[in-house]
Amino acid sequence: MGRKLELALGVLNGAIGDHLARTGNGLATDLTLVHEGRPLPLSRLRDVLPAPSPRVVVLLHGLMCTEDIWRFPSGDDYGALLARDFGFTPLYVRYNTGLAIPDSGRALSRLLDGLVEQYPGPLEEILPLGFSMGGLVARSAVHFASLEDNGWLARVRRAIYVGTPHRGAPLERAGRVLTGLLARIPDPYVKLVGEIGDLRSAGIKDLGNADLRHEDRSARDTFLADPHHPVPLLPSIRHYLVAGSLSREPWLTEIFGDTMVPISSGTNGHHAGPRALPPGNVKVLPGLSHMDVAHHPEVYAQLKEWLTE
Amino acid sequence: MSDPQDRKRWRGLALLVRDAVEHGSRAVEKVHLETARRPFVILEHIPAIAEPTKLVHTVHDLAVTSVYETIRIVNRVVGSTVDVAFDTLGAMDEKKSE
Repeated sequence: MGRKLELALGVLNGAIGDHLARTGNGLATDLTLVHEGRPLPLSRLRDVLPAPSPRVVVLLHGLMCTEDIWRFPSGDDYGALLARDFGFTPLYVRYNTGLAIPDSGRALSRLLDGLVEQYPGPLEEILPLGFSMGGLVARSAVHFASLEDNGWLARVRRAIYVGTPHRGAPLERAGRVLTGLLARIPDPYVKLVGEIGDLRSAGIKDLGNADLRHEDRSARDTFLADPHHPVPLLPSIRHYLVAGSLSREPWLTEIFGDTMVPISSGTNGHHAGPRALPPGNVKVLPGLSHMDVAHHPEVYAQLKEWLTE
Repeated sequence: MSDPQDRKRWRGLALLVRDAVEHGSRAVEKVHLETARRPFVILEHIPAIAEPTKLVHTVHDLAVTSVYETIRIVNRVVGSTVDVAFDTLGAMDEKKSE
């Protein structure tokens, strides 16, 4: 019951989490570390980490998920496997995915600042590992930390993104256009449908153009564009990107990507451009859907290869 | 219900239901009034029945708004009662744990 309830709350937060937070609703999830399904205050880290590693991997789930999304059918997850193979201490973050991505990014930056202060041992490396929206939250946190010169950023040398829409999600942009059109039709029933559609959370809306800052939200493109992102990946960090692709056919891969995130977005347009990452830092895995990439042995094999470098 | 986290969530669920009824009733009321407005506007263009139609239109809108407003008032009263119940339960739990 507990796990199912947390999953249901994850979905609810993703759908209307900004409303829940704004109204002070007790169902709103606060951004926090979790351990065995319960919130883990930083002050209790010492109790649950008797032998903390100097390297931590911070796992950030995606929209409408909880940390449960990382779990393999075998019970493993990337965090546990990275602990086994590389000695990372896995820290799982749970957050309200309905909040605007910049709000979650700022909250994450504050949490990581607190982590550096209260970690029960020396802390040399923080490795953010974000799935889908989680990758954008990590990028937003890095952006704010770079502006505010937060200490935790100096410990980030690598960052991993799986199924992250670096250049936005076309489905959300299509939804934005559709609700805009419905609002213009002078019929009360159609308008009502449009208004219900527009109730989707700020977090979902931010996915459309992968907005990492509040100022980006005001500059949203109404049309189905795929803009170059105004906040580039921080050059002082090595970024590794995994994108799934439902089909093994190249032309279908380009169009549909992993069903939620097109390849051009999941790979941050790695094919070309001055901001393109080295080809070795980007991996497209055919045959994996959007949700698959959060818990798949092929993805972990790729992470392992990168982290062994 | 002794876990403060559980209590917070139950209270949140009650608040969510209250919000849903509040916002839902406003949305349906708007559609209701707008849908009814259309035939009234046509009838109000016919000189012979324009004046009585305007009167009926006003009475109709007043009745509709009153019904929806009553729903919202009851919703708020029930919500406040539930809040008091949660406060009482919380106080009882605290007393027990002392």
